[in-house]
Amino acid sequence: MTKNYSCLIGLLLFVFACTSCSEDDNYVQVQPTPTSPVSLNLENVPYSNLSEYNFFEGNMADLTPVYGVLPYKITSGLFIDYAKAQTFVWMPKGSKANYVNDHSILDFPDGAVLITTHYFENVLPEKNRKMIETRLIIKKEGEWVLVNYKWNNEQTEAVYTTEGSFVNVKIEDNNEAKAVNYKIPSYNECFTCHNKYDEILPIGLKPQNINADFTFKDGVKNQLKKWAEFGYLETSNIPAEIVSVVDWADVSQPLDLRVRSYLDINCAHCHSDKGYCEYAPMRFSFKDTEDFANMGVDVEHNFELEGDLSHIIAPGKPEESALLFRLKSTLDEYKMPIMGRNLQHKEGVQLIEQWINSLEK
Amino acid sequence: MKTKLLFLIICLMPFAIKAQSSSNTCSAADAATHITSGGTYSITSFDGTAPAPGCSPGSIASNGEWFAYTPANDYQVTISSDIAGNDGKDTKLQVYNGTCAALNCFANSDDDGVDVYSRLSVVQFVAQANTTYYIAWDNRYDSSAFDFELTETTLQPISFTEQSRSGGGTLRGAVDMNNDGLDDIVSIVPKNVNDSNVYDINIQEQEPNGSFTGHDYPVSAPYSASWSLAAGDYNGDGYNDLVWGNGSGVNIIKATNSGTDYAIAETQSGIFTQRTNFVDINEDGRLDVFICHDIAPNIYYMNEPSGLEYYQGADPNGVPEGLGIYPSGGNYGSVWVDYDNDGDIDMFMAKCGGGTARRTNQLFRNNGNGSFTEVAAAANLADPIQTWSGAWGDYDNDGDMDVFIGGYNGTSHKMMRNNGDGTFTDITATTNLGFFTYTGIDNVTADFNNDGFIDILSNGNILVNDGNPANMSFTAYTTDVPPQGAIGDLDNDGFLDVASGSKIYYNNGSPNNYFKIKLNGSGLNKAGIGARIEITTSSGTQIRDVRSGEGFRYMNSLTTHFGLGVDTNITSVKVYWPSNTVDIMNNVGVNQTITLSEGSTLSTQTEVFAEDLTLFPNPAKSTLYVRTKYNLSDAIYTVFDISGKRVLNSKFGRENTVNVSSLSTGTYFLRVMQDGLSHTQKFIKE
Repeated sequence: MTKNYSCLIGLLLFVFACTSCSEDDNYVQVQPTPTSPVSLNLENVPYSNLSEYNFFEGNMADLTPVYGVLPYKITSGLFIDYAKAQTFVWMPKGSKANYVNDHSILDFPDGAVLITTHYFENVLPEKNRKMIETRLIIKKEGEWVLVNYKWNNEQTEAVYTTEGSFVNVKIEDNNEAKAVNYKIPSYNECFTCHNKYDEILPIGLKPQNINADFTFKDGVKNQLKKWAEFGYLETSNIPAEIVSVVDWADVSQPLDLRVRSYLDINCAHCHSDKGYCEYAPMRFSFKDTEDFANMGVDVEHNFELEGDLSHIIAPGKPEESALLFRLKSTLDEYKMPIMGRNLQHKEGVQLIEQWINSLEK
Repeated sequence: MKTKLLFLIICLMPFAIKAQSSSNTCSAADAATHITSGGTYSITSFDGTAPAPGCSPGSIASNGEWFAYTPANDYQVTISSDIAGNDGKDTKLQVYNGTCAALNCFANSDDDGVDVYSRLSVVQFVAQANTTYYIAWDNRYDSSAFDFELTETTLQPISFTEQSRSGGGTLRGAVDMNNDGLDDIVSIVPKNVNDSNVYDINIQEQEPNGSFTGHDYPVSAPYSASWSLAAGDYNGDGYNDLVWGNGSGVNIIKATNSGTDYAIAETQSGIFTQRTNFVDINEDGRLDVFICHDIAPNIYYMNEPSGLEYYQGADPNGVPEGLGIYPSGGNYGSVWVDYDNDGDIDMFMAKCGGGTARRTNQLFRNNGNGSFTEVAAAANLADPIQTWSGAWGDYDNDGDMDVFIGGYNGTSHKMMRNNGDGTFTDITATTNLGFFTYTGIDNVTADFNNDGFIDILSNGNILVNDGNPANMSFTAYTTDVPPQGAIGDLDNDGFLDVASGSKIYYNNGSPNNYFKIKLNGSGLNKAGIGARIEITTSSGTQIRDVRSGEGFRYMNSLTTHFGLGVDTNITSVKVYWPSNTVDIMNNVGVNQTITLSEGSTLSTQTEVFAEDLTLFPNPAKSTLYVRTKYNLSDAIYTVFDISGKRVLNSKFGRENTVNVSSLSTGTYFLRVMQDGLSHTQKFIKE
């Protein structure tokens, strides 16, 4: 869960040393730095159409990023009714993000844009790909702005919307046909998960969530290193080791770390201080769940639900655990997460159930 | 799971050995001093007559010892030899009622010991006050001396019998839908169409014999009833319409063809629906629809002749200041209640989540002219406690509405007493509710034991009002009571039942009397939603508001129920209609349901009020003085402008003055009203 960061620093020193000597020698022809073609005028955002930002080149639905738009991946992915997500980051030339601590959102510069596209693979009957929505979080005058674009049926453009809507798709996932009534959130719903006492915040881009390798066009590299290399991250205050989540789906990892990582990405934005559901006793942030009581282990369940639920998590007794009941439910009044999930996440439920069974009664 | 509340059980269990000694026969025990309370009793030797065979298994013993027990009250009784000192002994017990000449075997125990030794005996039964029970021990297995304990436990004053119900779906309402005067059960049923759900209505109609007949109404509404449902007849056709919603939107469904069908009237997406209500927000005689929004300002539909007009937040054409406009919402439980007794309906909003500003409860005072002023701070209700609902009712029967603020997820509850002057005082400390720590989302008032003091159904627990107005204390019953559900009279026996999930929980009742009243309004608001009903008996006065949508989730009966205790006559029933009509009935019999049509008692009223009214100074600048020989402290004044629009409405309270400084220059009319009698005078504002 901690990853050595010192190699990154070393690498940077090496790069710096090389650059110095090239300057000294004056033999190597320096390529002019390419300019990102992204068009972002903070005065005019949100634009009406996604294409106006020029984040992607070629067929927009292929999500091929232009220069300056870096792909990244959250180590432990959010469940979004079996939709897939592709995420990118862009920052204005010469600006970079700063490390705050392992578990806080990086401190991004004005003009930074976080680009998340949700789409489905294997959409029946043709098993093709269908883009659903592209969400932007834009830093403007020190504050974040939430913007959403809904893709058209032709898959050629995505149009700005603040209204929620449903998109029905049938997909094949894990050799199983699934009917999904995917919810594109309204602005108010976006805000609900993305605010802390009314201050808008991104969710995923914490060092602990991206401190992992990613296959870039030019090879596999730690994402933080890549950002640093590209000039998107100030490295001077980054510690050698970053306490990091694991991929909840990676069965080679310890069960409790997978569970903590799963609950962090799916639940912690509301169940944390100043979150939408801070009034419930759980604290699901990865940094808080080393203490299992913050996940509700052995914490009495004092809330009327159906069934015989004794604790938020009753060790060894999944049937008495309210957390599992809520993860399993697809009824609005019981299900968790309350937004963004309409189907049961079978793999997630399995993980939690396995873990509760593994806890000593 | 639920906190066990020891204080519930009043154990009367002195441990000293009691004087009553055993007798040799039933009749000797009957003639000796009876056991009349719990205690420890002794058998020193076996030399009496053994009980006849047949009451307990096994062959006859050679000897027995007898006691007679006559409790002073109804009790849950335990008789046990399974106590310290009896280890290794083997007792056998029979309990009879009836007479010694004709004993009736009532209970028996041989080897039921658990705590001390398995061969010892334990029986448990409900004993009735002043009935004699004969306790006979025999020596079939063991003749040694031993002590036994008799324990009396006070009976829970309320009990319910659980039965499965017909019809599936999400149960949300217990309310008369077919206008036969009997409460029906309303559920919302999902139906899969093209791989996603739409929602139909199932109504289980209560028949006069107590059975239910189910009807399905396919309306294909887009949103489920996850969070709440309310019923009210907004179009005045005599049949209840419905509003329900979930986290994605809200539907308004209207009854059509005389309640034989239902159709979508309105739907709105992007609403995170919480509590819903039908209520006449602008007092134009037409029920509007109010919907709590969890994550944005509240929404409402104003009922105009042209149809339902949608509004969100503050709107000059709707409610000028809005009704809860915090940008990210936090609105969970709206209850429409006349908290200041000025004849118009105000609204309390239970709030939860976010920073203090988002989650501070609100109280919207109706100004009587379509506008509302948020006055929670002045009323001492601006509490950031974290709550999903407040249970409003007159717990101390002093004529104004108090509120139990239900804590959510571990935050403690609060009881706020209405001081009668627009302010509330936290009296939780005296209410015994500090012990009750089970929290949740739904809190609603109802008199379950018909004792004339309203109780609280709080997240599947019943807080029974002790009937102690000074302290307003409660006793919490956390087991053998219904889960949260829709409250109505589902067997029409005058005791309130609860429908929840797949079950009906029938109230087993008590000897107490009741009175139920169903309103039949003359205008569009047939059920008289928003009316205040006041009854007076020799025990005092009780009040109710007719509400569509209270607590958090469910819709309760629109027939207003009163428990009456042992009172056998209702001196007066007063109905203060939203139209300002007041109907009064005198000397009304108990244990009946009446339907009162608006204005039907007016012809019998001959009194006059404030006919000597004079106003000065006239013209008035800021303060208008009212002079009359009548006491105005309970009277309500209403100021109308020249077009007949209400511009001010309030109670007089202590001073006979009206603050007119907010009015623009012109001619106005002041109406002074009490108990439906009124007098109106013109005045000029300069």
